[in-house]
Amino acid sequence: MNSTAVGRGGIQLCDLSFAFRSRTGEPLPVLDRVDLEIPGGGIIALIGPNGCGKSTLLRVIAGLLVPANGEALLDEVPIVGPDPRIGLVFQEPRLLPWRSAADNITYPLELAGWPVERRAERLATLTELVGLDPAVTGARPSELSGGTRQRVALARALALEPEVLLLDEPFSALDALTRERFDFELLRLWERSAATIVMVTHSIPEGILVADRVVVLSPRPGRVVADIVVEVPRPRSIADLDEAAVSRTAREIRAHLGDTDIGETVPAELAS
Amino acid sequence: MNRGAWLPIVGAFGFFVLVWKAVVVVGGLPPFILPPPETVAERFITAWADGTVWPHFVTTMVEIVLGFVVGAGLALVVGYGLARSALFERIASPYLVAAQAIPILVLAPLLVLWFGPGLASKVVICSLIVFFPVAIATMVGIRSVDARLLELGRSLRATHRQVLATLEIPAALPSIFGGMRVGVTLAVVGAVVGEWAGASKGLAVLINLARGSLFDIPLMFATLLTIALVGVALYLAVVALERRLVGAR
Repeated sequence: MNSTAVGRGGIQLCDLSFAFRSRTGEPLPVLDRVDLEIPGGGIIALIGPNGCGKSTLLRVIAGLLVPANGEALLDEVPIVGPDPRIGLVFQEPRLLPWRSAADNITYPLELAGWPVERRAERLATLTELVGLDPAVTGARPSELSGGTRQRVALARALALEPEVLLLDEPFSALDALTRERFDFELLRLWERSAATIVMVTHSIPEGILVADRVVVLSPRPGRVVADIVVEVPRPRSIADLDEAAVSRTAREIRAHLGDTDIGETVPAELAS
Repeated sequence: MNRGAWLPIVGAFGFFVLVWKAVVVVGGLPPFILPPPETVAERFITAWADGTVWPHFVTTMVEIVLGFVVGAGLALVVGYGLARSALFERIASPYLVAAQAIPILVLAPLLVLWFGPGLASKVVICSLIVFFPVAIATMVGIRSVDARLLELGRSLRATHRQVLATLEIPAALPSIFGGMRVGVTLAVVGAVVGEWAGASKGLAVLINLARGSLFDIPLMFATLLTIALVGVALYLAVVALERRLVGAR
């Protein structure tokens, strides 16, 4: 992939709030004054209890939701809508069932008006990049395994060479062993692409394994309650998972998640 | 299909013919009430061979095909509008349902009066009868598009036209074809009813001739058989097109 200049793909979230409108018309706050700075080329893991607004935060960065207050900046320019510099991987592969894997991967290129020959070239690069067996690219999504489908989704997100890759619990539907392998493959990919990665997860080990920093969000409305640097040297390997630094970081994250009463309903005073 | 798959179909047809023959023999029915199958088969062949059926067949086919194309075409556009605009649905749906509730049998003489006994009135009747199932199927199909895929489209900055071409139409296609399967068989009914209400040529006219001035009951049955075969053939044509466009998912 192309090597982006240092600092490109940097994201700043300034005083960001977001509220959904409930059925009765009252605003339901989801994010509460989130301030976060993600340097270009970094990997951040977002962790927090269910319903804390992690996915909402990701959608604000993706330009799919407009914040009620504050703003999200990419390369110091406000994000006002979906942007080709941002690639998105959803929790489920979200493939078009009537298209082959190859046509799913090149779908963003097709929408962007790339000619057929260039799409084919890019497809070859992308399948190689995400480790997809070229033999299966002709198959429909229903014929592929869950892991392969998510590989296709990852390749699609990378199609337009984004500066930023947003991942919403991308491997949560996979079994533990496959998931670990995908985490390492994601790291290899990141080393080659220099993209900024923001990954929502609810696995502490996954966050530590992948990220430079693990950002802990409170229950709804989500606020940043901790921003923990993972001091495990790169390149990371599976052996690193037993290091003392890892268990210390995990303990620290857990302590902050404990603050937030994970899994419980939100006490009103927490929000204040 | 392989030989094993054809066997039950051929068997069922053989059984049908046998029962028919048995009813004629056991009931002692004269040919002008119910001719036996071999008489109908013979008349079917001679009527096609001597050119009795052909001009009527062509007339009816043109009516059906034109009526289906016009009716289904309009239904696709209106069905999409119904799916995408709640206001349009609220305004238009009472009229659509009312139009559907009035039997085409009652409407047909009126339409023949308005549009004349020629091709135009038949095309209008066919399109009317085809319209409703295809419009409803299109509306349901377009509404069934996965909201998550639409969000994907939005994240990739797809234009309205791209969303229509790459997400909505492919997602709605199975449903639309369901409506077209119903519609194409109804188009046959529409053409026959229209000709019944007033026409100088067509398979329904031939039936009227056969049972009236010609008093050729086997010919009437041979024409009925022709109409049934037209329905089956058109239905299978729609299914074949569906296989091609929708395929395996």
